[in-house]
Amino acid sequence: MKTELSPRAKVALYGLMCVLLIPFVFPTWWMITSSVKPISDIFAFPPDLWPRRFDWLTYQRVFELQPFGRQYWNSAYIAAIVTVGTMVVSSMAGYAFARIKFPFSNALFMVVLLGLLIPSEVTIVPLFQMFLGWNMINTHWPLILVPIFGAPSVFATFVMRQFFISLPGELEEAARVDGLGRFKIFWTIALPLAKPALGAVAIFTFLHSWNLYLEPIVFLSSTHMFTLPQALTQFTDAYGGAMWNIQLAAATMTAIPVLLVFIVAQKQFVEGLAHTGLKG
Amino acid sequence: MSKFAYLKNTAALAAILLPLAASGTAWAQDAVNLRMTIWSANEAHLALFNEIAAGFTETHPNVSVTFEPLPFENYTTTLTTQIAGGNAPDLAWIFETSAADFVTSNALAPLTDAFGATDGYELDDVTESATALWTREGQLYAYPFSTSPFAVFSNNDLITAAGARTPAELIEAGEWNWDNALATAKAVADAGNEGLVIRDFNYQTWQNLTSFWRGWGADSWSADGKTCTFADQPMIDAMTAFHNAVFVDGSIPGPGENVDFFAGDAAMTVTQISRASLLPQDGFDWDLVPLPEGPAGSYSVVGQAGVGVFANRPNTETAVEFLAYMTNPENSQKLAQFFPPARASLLNTETLSATNPLLTPEQIETVVVNGITNGQVIAGRTNFAQIQQSVRAALDALWVADADVPAVLGNVCTSINPLLMR
Amino acid sequence: MSQPIDTKRKPAFWTMHRRDAAAGYLFIAPQLLGIITFVLIPLGLVFYYSLHEWNVLANTFTFVGDANYQLLLRDPNLPQVLWASAVFSAGLVVLNMSLALLLAVLLDQKLKGIVVFRTLFFSPVVVSLVAWTIVWSFLLQANGGINGMLAMIGIEGPNWLRLPSTAMVSVVVVQVLKNVGLNMILFLAALQGVPKELYEAARVDGAGRFKQFRRITLPMISPTILLTSIITIVGSLQVFAQIAILTKGGPGVSTTVLVYYLYQQAFQFNFFGYGSTLSILLFLIVAVLTFIQWQMRKRIVFYEN
Repeated sequence: MKTELSPRAKVALYGLMCVLLIPFVFPTWWMITSSVKPISDIFAFPPDLWPRRFDWLTYQRVFELQPFGRQYWNSAYIAAIVTVGTMVVSSMAGYAFARIKFPFSNALFMVVLLGLLIPSEVTIVPLFQMFLGWNMINTHWPLILVPIFGAPSVFATFVMRQFFISLPGELEEAARVDGLGRFKIFWTIALPLAKPALGAVAIFTFLHSWNLYLEPIVFLSSTHMFTLPQALTQFTDAYGGAMWNIQLAAATMTAIPVLLVFIVAQKQFVEGLAHTGLKG
Repeated sequence: MSKFAYLKNTAALAAILLPLAASGTAWAQDAVNLRMTIWSANEAHLALFNEIAAGFTETHPNVSVTFEPLPFENYTTTLTTQIAGGNAPDLAWIFETSAADFVTSNALAPLTDAFGATDGYELDDVTESATALWTREGQLYAYPFSTSPFAVFSNNDLITAAGARTPAELIEAGEWNWDNALATAKAVADAGNEGLVIRDFNYQTWQNLTSFWRGWGADSWSADGKTCTFADQPMIDAMTAFHNAVFVDGSIPGPGENVDFFAGDAAMTVTQISRASLLPQDGFDWDLVPLPEGPAGSYSVVGQAGVGVFANRPNTETAVEFLAYMTNPENSQKLAQFFPPARASLLNTETLSATNPLLTPEQIETVVVNGITNGQVIAGRTNFAQIQQSVRAALDALWVADADVPAVLGNVCTSINPLLMR
Repeated sequence: MSQPIDTKRKPAFWTMHRRDAAAGYLFIAPQLLGIITFVLIPLGLVFYYSLHEWNVLANTFTFVGDANYQLLLRDPNLPQVLWASAVFSAGLVVLNMSLALLLAVLLDQKLKGIVVFRTLFFSPVVVSLVAWTIVWSFLLQANGGINGMLAMIGIEGPNWLRLPSTAMVSVVVVQVLKNVGLNMILFLAALQGVPKELYEAARVDGAGRFKQFRRITLPMISPTILLTSIITIVGSLQVFAQIAILTKGGPGVSTTVLVYYLYQQAFQFNFFGYGSTLSILLFLIVAVLTFIQWQMRKRIVFYEN
């Protein structure tokens, strides 16, 4: 399909993509610009593409109303730990399921895949009871342990397995003849080759943890323990009325850094996804 | 089945839960930390609560109290999840709509005897109309710390600009009724702003329409909670009037429109007087008046919130003591600056003026004192959440321009009658 | 296998086989134990609850046998809820997959600045789900941004989230726009992996662009299509925050999908027993769907490496 296009076709293509882009870009644009509008201007009809008046105080209010910096830190460090932990757990399991022959490996893989099928709403009550038994309610442990070891990491394991299956076996065989142990092979040969897949796993996992919504609501109860998605729904007056502009300012602050990271690292990002082994 | 037996059952399935059952013993004289869930994250509220808690710690040095704000939107859900997980707080705010569920369950500790035995509590001072919702078989199960009348806030700048009559003028002329109130709203809406907003209704939380339909003598179900009255004539008349206001006159903003009275968008709003704190400091010329008269005469409606203590917990006794302290006459007066009190001795213009500097003595007299004294609470019921959801789903059909009002209301009853009969 | 066997000595316990097996178990141990602890045991507990009537407030927990499953069969809302779930999932998968494929084909062209477009189409994926949904809940209101834009070109837009005819479409579209970027990138990667010689050969044979796409591209990327569709369907059955923020299941019960319904029953109405029963139902549906798709791969997938 990669033939040079005629100039006319190029113009048509640019035009089509620009139109398609509107619903993808406009909401983010509206979120950012509305976050500095006074509340009475937010619902102007038709909407303003650029604020008529600026109210920068909204950003200050975000930090006054909630320990937002602390909540930012909570989300960031939880996502970081979960990402690294998932990379370790899932690459090990994925490697074993793909390249080591051991009894019941297929059956056990099916057991692990069960995790893919269970929505978190289904098991949230028993999980709550378990973590209460371990005195881990209103701590970040449930948000760290469950994603790394539980259902959310299954997808990562699946991706890693698919990747390792597609890897040629010769390198490994040579290493085995040299008498290298399984762990050495995994660590020094397989893992370095798996960088693109690990990159994809890291991205998926980070976004999943960063966006987690139901679990923090259930497991966390004090504001200084909250994560960002949970904090976003908290910008209300004492009677539950939403403070729209402040909410949008907070939402903007949660989105911008991730967007910036994406723009800077987007080449690696896309290539990482392209190598997930989901190709086939 | 008792909580303990239940825990044993669960533990049989998952031995992981065992530590739970073992933690049931009280730490008699050791440090006690009471946890109280609330739905306000307001700093001024929290400061006051902490001040009251500090006062309690002076006489009970081993006791501390933590106030835990839960999201308003998911408050009861989060609370019941905590209870389901075996992690109930010691005390909790309770919405009036879930009052029946909490009071009739055995979840809460009885309060009457303990309050009566507390020196200087003056339980008789707490009005019976305020406690009715929270009482079962002569025992109080939660204390109504907030009894807030519904009233009308008006934006007189918008109303005069539209050349319409303000609520104050209508009251003076003795013509403050829903017809004229909606006419004023329509004039403002026609002039390019918005008319009258039933706050927090949002075409979902229909129970807030009680402040409207009681004017027609309508209600959602019979007093015993067993018969649906949505399809009765008063409700049909009230909802027809409401539907016309929305879809014919435009005097009430339609579904999915975001209109904020306190941002200066609308002529009037019906809400609880505690929302006065949302008025902008250098904003418009506002007024606060009682609800207009309806075809069925004058009426008032109050919203309530209670605090209960969870029963059979290690610190239940201490928690009841703290609640008695928190709601004693002295602290009730402090709470009155945010939460209209249930104590007769505080229901006077002098006391309330001191704590509510925003309101004029006249507003306090006509709206707050009269409202609390005569007001009736929104109809609640056990299993309210499910009934609320069923009514909401059926009422959705009403919020279109060509709705058949009696037919939709008939459907409401069809869908909730089986639930009411249970 | 090829190790020389020394018959004089006792055979070593740690044969290659055994060492491999031990390594394998060690490698999967964290994941497996995690699944047992955080998925299987909770699932067993959910099944246990589903045999009980559990009133959280009244603190009663009574064994009722299959009563909750009987209730499932008689629940008047359930047919509508299942229908809503089916419509939501079908709509989501079809729209998501076809839009992702279209975008991937567009982005596969040699054009200047294509990276910018790729970035922008992908950007909703990195915006937090709650923020994205809250913004759309504003935009879709009767006097919100969408109708504002429509008004500029003289169209009076409907009240998107309040009408049975548009609410479901709105929820699906919001969700597709949020996540289509992921599938788009996966398709793009698959497209770029199709050997160019195939196209050249087809062109020599005189096949047009459309024919090339149907005869070469689609079969070559069919494994990706299968996998992304499984992920998308499983994901679509777990949609929760979007419904909670956009429609709360309304109008009527038109957008009450199964996950949202079980959340209502368990957490809002406090029927934890019945909620658990619905959870088991949801689990079975997801399992059966995944199984069917997995079986189908033999018929629709052109090749597999």
